[in-house]
Amino acid sequence: MSKFRIQGKGRISHQNKVRFTFDGKSYEGCKGDTIASALLANGVHLMGRSFKYHRPRGVVTAGSDEPNAIMGTRRGPGRYEPNTRATIQEIYEGLEVTSQNNWPSLKFDLMSLNDKLGMLFSAGFYYKTFMWPKSFWDKVYEPVIRRAAGLGTSPTEEDPDIYASRYHHTDVLIVGAGPAGIAAALAAAKAGASVTLVDEGAEIGGSLLSEIETTIDGHPGQKWVDEISESLKSFENLTILTRTTAIGYYHQNMVGLVQKVTDHLNELPENSPRERMWRVRAKQVVLAQGALERPLVFDGNDKPGVMLAGAAQTYLNRYGVKVGNEAIIATCHDSAWYSAFDLAEAGMTVSAILDTRKKVDSDLRNRAQSLGIDTLIGYTVTEVIGSQRVRSVRINKVENGKVGEAVRLSCDVLLMSGGWTPSLHLFSHTKGSLTWDDNLSAYLPGEKTEDVYIAGAGKGHWGIHDCLEDGIEAGNKAAEASGHRPRKTRFVVGSDRTGSGIVERELPTDLNPSKAKAFTDFQNDVTAKDIRLAVREGMRSIEHVKRYTTNGMATDQGKLSNINGLMIASDALAKTPPEVGLTTFRPPYSPTTFGAFIGYHRGDHFEATRKTPIDNWAEQNGAEFEPVAQWRRAWYFPKQGEDIHAAVRRECKATRSSLGIFDASTLGKIEVSGPDAVEFLNRMYTNPWTKLKPGRCRYGLLLGEDGYIRDDGIIGRLTEDKFHVTTTTGGAPSVLNMMEDYLQTEWPDLRVWLTSTTEQWAVVALNGPNARNVLEPFVDIDLSDEALPHMSVVECTVAGFPARLFRVSFTGELGFEINVPARHGIELWETLFNEGQKYDICPYGTETMHVLRAEKGYIIVGQDTDGTVTPDDAGMSWAIGKAKPDFVGKRSLSRPDIVADGRKQLVGLFTEDPKTVLEEGAQVIDDVNKPRPIQALGHVTSSYYSDAAGRSIALALVAGGRDRMGETLYIPMPNGTINAKVTGTVFYDPDGERLKV
Amino acid sequence: MTATQALFDNLLTDQTEGPVKLTLLVESARFNLRADPKDINALSKAFGSEIPSEISACARVKNREALCVGPDEWILQTPESDKQTVWDAFEKAYAKTPHSLTDISDREIAISMSGDRVLELLNIAAPTDHSSMEIGQGVRTIFDTVQVVLYREAENTFRMELWRSFLPHVWSLLNTGNAELASGY
Repeated sequence: MSKFRIQGKGRISHQNKVRFTFDGKSYEGCKGDTIASALLANGVHLMGRSFKYHRPRGVVTAGSDEPNAIMGTRRGPGRYEPNTRATIQEIYEGLEVTSQNNWPSLKFDLMSLNDKLGMLFSAGFYYKTFMWPKSFWDKVYEPVIRRAAGLGTSPTEEDPDIYASRYHHTDVLIVGAGPAGIAAALAAAKAGASVTLVDEGAEIGGSLLSEIETTIDGHPGQKWVDEISESLKSFENLTILTRTTAIGYYHQNMVGLVQKVTDHLNELPENSPRERMWRVRAKQVVLAQGALERPLVFDGNDKPGVMLAGAAQTYLNRYGVKVGNEAIIATCHDSAWYSAFDLAEAGMTVSAILDTRKKVDSDLRNRAQSLGIDTLIGYTVTEVIGSQRVRSVRINKVENGKVGEAVRLSCDVLLMSGGWTPSLHLFSHTKGSLTWDDNLSAYLPGEKTEDVYIAGAGKGHWGIHDCLEDGIEAGNKAAEASGHRPRKTRFVVGSDRTGSGIVERELPTDLNPSKAKAFTDFQNDVTAKDIRLAVREGMRSIEHVKRYTTNGMATDQGKLSNINGLMIASDALAKTPPEVGLTTFRPPYSPTTFGAFIGYHRGDHFEATRKTPIDNWAEQNGAEFEPVAQWRRAWYFPKQGEDIHAAVRRECKATRSSLGIFDASTLGKIEVSGPDAVEFLNRMYTNPWTKLKPGRCRYGLLLGEDGYIRDDGIIGRLTEDKFHVTTTTGGAPSVLNMMEDYLQTEWPDLRVWLTSTTEQWAVVALNGPNARNVLEPFVDIDLSDEALPHMSVVECTVAGFPARLFRVSFTGELGFEINVPARHGIELWETLFNEGQKYDICPYGTETMHVLRAEKGYIIVGQDTDGTVTPDDAGMSWAIGKAKPDFVGKRSLSRPDIVADGRKQLVGLFTEDPKTVLEEGAQVIDDVNKPRPIQALGHVTSSYYSDAAGRSIALALVAGGRDRMGETLYIPMPNGTINAKVTGTVFYDPDGERLKV
Repeated sequence: MTATQALFDNLLTDQTEGPVKLTLLVESARFNLRADPKDINALSKAFGSEIPSEISACARVKNREALCVGPDEWILQTPESDKQTVWDAFEKAYAKTPHSLTDISDREIAISMSGDRVLELLNIAAPTDHSSMEIGQGVRTIFDTVQVVLYREAENTFRMELWRSFLPHVWSLLNTGNAELASGY
């Protein structure tokens, strides 16, 4: 049994032994231990190295504010996590723990050379040093800094864990389950509100879990937690979440919580998530986050064995661990005196309490003396002796501002307390204002922006009685504000440990202060003199001091360092703290895994992948797929041995020479109907619709207010009052929203209504000279060119299914698009595919569709347009109804810059070598010999090899393009410049004869 | 086999065990009705059953169901055998009472979910508080970025309707959540 463990003491399970390893060495702890408490029980204080100087570091705290004991933890393959706080992570059988920031080992770290060179690495070191020589930055400085930077090692294996999400709605959310939080929860629950109480610890209780003297309703604090936990269980309207950290407080009382669900378990239950992100929408929030104990700032305050007095009290009372054999206390606050009493009464040697204040309450001094503790009032700490563990401390009496003779006291732990900082991180997230309280020397909550109450030590209350009372009040108010009637709640508190203290800057010393390593931020290795240097070098605002020194920028976000840094900076600036300010806390409150944020959105759930009713067939027939908006679409159908180029050439050829079949189901579809449908379309689209007869179709072009092309598609008039509008695949939702927006805000008088039918219809497109032949046996209507000319639509049945049959073409060949109810999509496809065998039917994908349309010069919105292309730029002035009084974007088309010469226009490009296929996105210039940088004329938007044209073809947006017909332009590429001649945009069947068969 | 059957067959292979019973429902006839709210009585006559005018209210009489999802938008349902009757009745009403009735029977697919932990399951990805829905109510809402229409059919039974291409995503998520609930953690 470890000599640092006190049998039977604390809340751990002494009988349940747990074995774990730290840096490969096996240790024994007890169930309920954290890594830190278990290591301390084994006499281990050295738990890590600091980030910059690689100084040996021990654990400082017993909570989530821990800056030093940051470790790698591992539970088998893929389950490695860097930067786990040893003060939070509970041990389980087989847990593997490794120290960080050291090489080759924790005890012998070569990088600790940085510590010896500390004079070189002062604040602003990075800003100043790596400026020269400039050429060194890329090759030397940056790679070296990157290697040295970063906390811990990023995991390289895929994480097999499950991360869950949950939305939660509650009347009252209470953050923090210490005395104030518990009291608030009880009061609000009694009132009948639905209450959610969360705490980052493994059990509720907060500071009470470390409290054995103060009694509530006759029970010592620790014991009372058990009583109240039991009685809280009777409230069905109360949800308690432990191991749950409120990480961020967002608008309208949305609070993010991360629950660690299984990290403490020996075995992972099947399908259990490791963490769960709760998104809580609360009517009222009570923040009862308590206060965080501050370190004192003196030379060597970071050495292993120097830790917070309150942490030592927690390790003792909660975990039954003595943090050392011989303690000295250094403090400026009464609370550490009580910690000392607990330690002494538990049998630890406490040789002295050093207090920097000139006066300390006589009751405290008397009790200390009765326990055999020396009381040193008005003293300072000037040095800590020992390297990997404190051996003694050098202290001096301070009188009239003068530091007197030094004395050395031996000890193996130095327990410090610089007072307490109300924890207002979450309140800060809401942008609630903070006000400086001179009496408490602390920032307290000021004006609120959300429905929130702050209770307990977070509001500056001290002592359990006051915190309970404040909690009850907050709980009652929150319950009342959420519509419930408060009941009476009362607690009787005995032997309360009230008290007060002062806030110190770095402690005075008789030694050279420029040699002192008196840390404010342990994790980032920021010292008091760094802060003074920052002020000397011109930093005035605390925000600048923070960034210059990195004080408060470590993973603990300044929980320990902010106020100490502020006190030193305000002293150096000779200003009051509120004049210097406070840095802003931002979410998350404590480091959070990516997994918690990602939740279910990984693997198959990464995002919704939409598939058409014909997708299954495509998959079974070897299609390669590409994502288009949220859809996955068949890209091409390679036969054995074919690459994309070979497959696409074959598919193009088959379609042009006989018959291709294509799944066009993803096209957006909107049913526009009502007596004013035609007027509505006249106003939305550039084209005129009034004269379009039922049964006929027209290509529609949709602009934004700015006159730029937004979307396009074929629109069929089914009846006088009903149109079947198609949109691009990606544009379907935005076009519907845009239309709905205009209807609701601009033209509510129009009697026309919209419904998305994208998914109502599966669409099979047949293209090629044999398209009619394959379709004819399945319809009982006349498909002839006379009866159903190009750009027609008819409602009929196809293969027995109700259908909307369009004769349209996006390939330049005879084409039909057959819309049938989605459930019948696959049956229709298979029927046509079987019949099509007579014509060597060829299924083709989006790539072939792109080539075929480019050969005809049909644009794709978003590829050949980029949101700055007008109809005229695209060569589509023909699509504008010139006689129409108005349509969306019309007025913009006469803006001076829109009608000016030299706009980029869509043209064709023929490369000099017909085999050369340009790269899409490549820049186009008119003169290679111009001085650089050369302004590009535009860029290539579409480019393919075209068998139909017998050469490569490209579309490009080129400034003044249509006036450059026949001109040679240049496309500079990494391997040389390509010459290309400007041409028209139609590369195949310019007169459209093939459409009219 | 219809595309719907094929889709269901695919999805049912991924079904997990859990406290919430998840069932894919066969198709019914669904219409999206949009009209001037002042015409709703006339259209109720055409439908042969009440069409409610309060958002989220859902009227059910025999085999007619009408849910109000927006100020001028309703979802009507009938058995497939009644589809043509409804269609014809509205067509007849159109001249006097212009409106838009659109067949969306194939756009939507429905999942039934039932069990005393059904609200917890919904909460894995539904940002709004559905516990306050009254039995019989319906609402157009979202589930993990996907627009869905949710009907509360009984205290612990919901029906979720969504566009068919989103079904695999939502189904998989629901089954993952159900297995998570079953884990007890």
